[in-house]
Amino acid sequence: MTAKDPQRLRRIVVAFVLMLGFAGVLCRLFTLQVLQAAELTVRADRQHRKTVTVEGGRGGIYDRQGKVLAINMDVPSVFGVPTSLENPSGVARDLARVLHVRADEIERKLRQERSFVWIARKLDPEQGRSLESLSLEGIGTVMEGRRFYPKGPLLAHVLGFAGMDGQGLEGIERRYESYLHGEKQLVVLQRDALGRTVFPKGLNEQAPSAGHNVTLTIDEVIQYIAEKELDEAVATTRAKGGVAVVMEPRTGAILALAISPKFDPNAVRAVSPDRWRNRALTDAYEPGSTMKVFIAAAALEEKVMEPGTLIHGENGQMTVAGTVIHDHEKSGWITFSQVIQKSSNIGAAKTAMALGEERVYRYIRAFGFGEKSEIDLPGEAAGLVKEPKNWGRRSLASMAIGQEIGVTALQLVTAVSAVANGGWLMKPYVVSDVRDGKGQVAAQNNPQVRRRPISAETAKTLTGILEGVVTNGTGAKAAVPGYRVAGKTGTAQKIDPQTGAYSSTLFVGSFTGFVPAENPRLAIVVIIDEPHAEAWGGVIAAPVFRRIAEQALPYLGVSSQAPVKLALAMVGDPTP
Amino acid sequence: MTDRAMESRQLDRFDWHFLTLIAAILSLGVLSIYSVTHAQSGSGLPLYVKQMVWILLGCGAFLAMLAVDYHKIARLAYVLYAVVLILLVVVLVAGKTSRGAQRWIPLGPFAVQPSEFAKLVLILVLATYYANAPREGWIQRVVLPGLIAMPGLLLILKQPDLGSGLSFLAIYGAMLLVVGMRSKAMGILLLFALMLFPFAWEMMWGSMHDYQRQRVMTFVDPDYDTGGKGYHGLQSRIAIGSGELLGKGLYGGTQSQLKFLPEGHTDFVFAVFAEEWGFVGVLVLLALFVALLILSLEIALKAKDVLGALLAAGVIGMFGFCLVVNIGMTAGLLPIVGIPLPLMSYGGSAVVTTMAALGLLLNVKRRRLSLFY
Repeated sequence: MTAKDPQRLRRIVVAFVLMLGFAGVLCRLFTLQVLQAAELTVRADRQHRKTVTVEGGRGGIYDRQGKVLAINMDVPSVFGVPTSLENPSGVARDLARVLHVRADEIERKLRQERSFVWIARKLDPEQGRSLESLSLEGIGTVMEGRRFYPKGPLLAHVLGFAGMDGQGLEGIERRYESYLHGEKQLVVLQRDALGRTVFPKGLNEQAPSAGHNVTLTIDEVIQYIAEKELDEAVATTRAKGGVAVVMEPRTGAILALAISPKFDPNAVRAVSPDRWRNRALTDAYEPGSTMKVFIAAAALEEKVMEPGTLIHGENGQMTVAGTVIHDHEKSGWITFSQVIQKSSNIGAAKTAMALGEERVYRYIRAFGFGEKSEIDLPGEAAGLVKEPKNWGRRSLASMAIGQEIGVTALQLVTAVSAVANGGWLMKPYVVSDVRDGKGQVAAQNNPQVRRRPISAETAKTLTGILEGVVTNGTGAKAAVPGYRVAGKTGTAQKIDPQTGAYSSTLFVGSFTGFVPAENPRLAIVVIIDEPHAEAWGGVIAAPVFRRIAEQALPYLGVSSQAPVKLALAMVGDPTP
Repeated sequence: MTDRAMESRQLDRFDWHFLTLIAAILSLGVLSIYSVTHAQSGSGLPLYVKQMVWILLGCGAFLAMLAVDYHKIARLAYVLYAVVLILLVVVLVAGKTSRGAQRWIPLGPFAVQPSEFAKLVLILVLATYYANAPREGWIQRVVLPGLIAMPGLLLILKQPDLGSGLSFLAIYGAMLLVVGMRSKAMGILLLFALMLFPFAWEMMWGSMHDYQRQRVMTFVDPDYDTGGKGYHGLQSRIAIGSGELLGKGLYGGTQSQLKFLPEGHTDFVFAVFAEEWGFVGVLVLLALFVALLILSLEIALKAKDVLGALLAAGVIGMFGFCLVVNIGMTAGLLPIVGIPLPLMSYGGSAVVTTMAALGLLLNVKRRRLSLFY
């Protein structure tokens, strides 16, 4: 053996051993970084990634004058990081004092095996400040947008409300959710080994944009008037509830929509969900005599009747299909106008019978009954209008006096608007436009004609008859000094849920009309449900109509026909 | 032109390659340390700056070990060994304790770790021992050098510092391998055992129950698994694996940036690098290390005398062992023992020692043509 051989062998051995080590390491690294890479990446992601939805602020809701009805405010929410808490029960006690909730409930949340848990959300700003002064370990606050309705219960049934996570649940908030909600963005947050959240760089630059602002056709002032008068009437009559809707007849725009009793959208859980319902469009009721307006419209349009046509009143009693129809006021020969003005059931039944089933049905449907008006609010009911083939022998007479038919307050005010505006049935709407943060219009509602059930001439004739209802008929209490009012009273018996028959104690009193009759600016329906005192629509609902109209008309700048007289009254009567 | 003049003034291509590889690996180390620690707001100098200071000191050590003929250095071997032993005693008496081990002597803002220096001194001592006289018989060849190494080894294990202790054994094994034919078989066996230790360990380890492992490991090394439940190893494996083929990019390592990976700037710096640069980056880094080792082997083989060859072998043994064991433990192939990645992990004593060792290596190479010493 030469000296070279061991050296060569040594070199091979040293190199071999080293390479063996390296090969082992390399195999292992290949396994980790190539073969198991996907699996280990998932594990890495799982322990540091947290995906949350970040949302831009919700858009505001404004009335037609730009007054704020719903806005977002940043308020504190408090969360816990259970994994970094050493003394959950002590922390829970401290929190309970500030938040006024039970300590054991908080402690239960804090003992969960989670790295993040909400303790209380959308608190009052003061509570957030006192929490911060406590500066508890493992407890943090973040600002969240809370929906705030600065006017409280005003317009609550139209506005609806948004839930804790800012999603619209009722009313405009729900119907216009796609515009109102801020841009949603999935943001992947990083969490470090201590469970702290690390915001990725550039989060602010990509902040999601805020939601659109919605402007309503509602006028806050008229809404306030309508709610105040309705509430007062409901209170004094000790009624179960009430509805008042004010519409602009020419456009179909809703100026006010009041529901009684009301609720505060800032504290929706305080009342039963039943109270949230916008009963002006979700609930159909038997309208009673207000229906005679549309039977009269059909008769005039079809020239079956003229205002002067004489109809015999059967002295207050007529038998139809084995049942008796009564009139409140016994009469003999009366004119067609008087049938409406005195609200003669017998005259209305005779008119309907003269028209026949087909025409009555056609006109009722033409005025929008039995179909949804497609107003831009959720939950609308179509009401109930039976097809003639399902009618009984009394049905024709019944429908003429507003029985065997279910209508909503919204349908009623829309239909009477068609009489007011010369025969055009409009599509009602509450939102005039939707604008983005820069004021660019994103959506807009324009007046939209659905159809024309009657001619302008018929509308004019009918308006004259309806004026008579107020001047010398059942609707005298709806008269507004200085303005010509046209309208119709209604008093409907409710079906007693126990007997299934018409109740003698449960009534719905209503008034439907418009003002000024010669150039209508307001169409108003007032419905008082189950009043305890007087049930007549002319007694309980007509005054509400008057009080709303007499305040809203001057507010809108509608000139009175008696300016001189008013001026004289103001300076005092010069002649003793 | 004499050889001496040539060796002191000129760098040949080999030297340039050697120096470039070292610089490249050092740079990657500083970059990785910067990446993990740049977001930390600690008092005093940032760690990457401290590391650069240590590298400067390491350059000084490198030049010092290069400037003086290694035969002269070897004459001081026993003195140096005595100094190191004293320092190790000082550590046990007055050292700074950190994470359950007493390893450091504080020096102002820095701290020195004598066990690191001890490794290089052991190389010098053993090489000198074998080179001074022909050693015959297995007692002289194997047992005596073992006894020489023993006090240092025991003092280190007392700290405890399992990593440095194992490095001691690796150096001893490398020496035995190079000493000569008669001990060749034994040397091969020993080095084999050391290099195969990871795999053997894994097999033995794999057959044990968890509580047995825990007991064994906490007995041998209190450092082991301070986080519990294999947290260190698991996070390190996740870091390396989630780097995938191409890595997450500089500062992109979620495991290291979000502190899931402990000790990212020291023992687990390889995981940081692997997470950021992926398998491709790892291949490049390993290529740099392998190239450096091949050049070192060349020096060992071409050394003009026994002393030179033994010094080179010792350095290679130390370097190669640390390299393989560190990456092995980072990748979950080995139990976690505190062995830094040479030239990359943060740690002043290790950097200075490694650079001094590499200086010694180049010293051996540059004096192989020298006729006068």
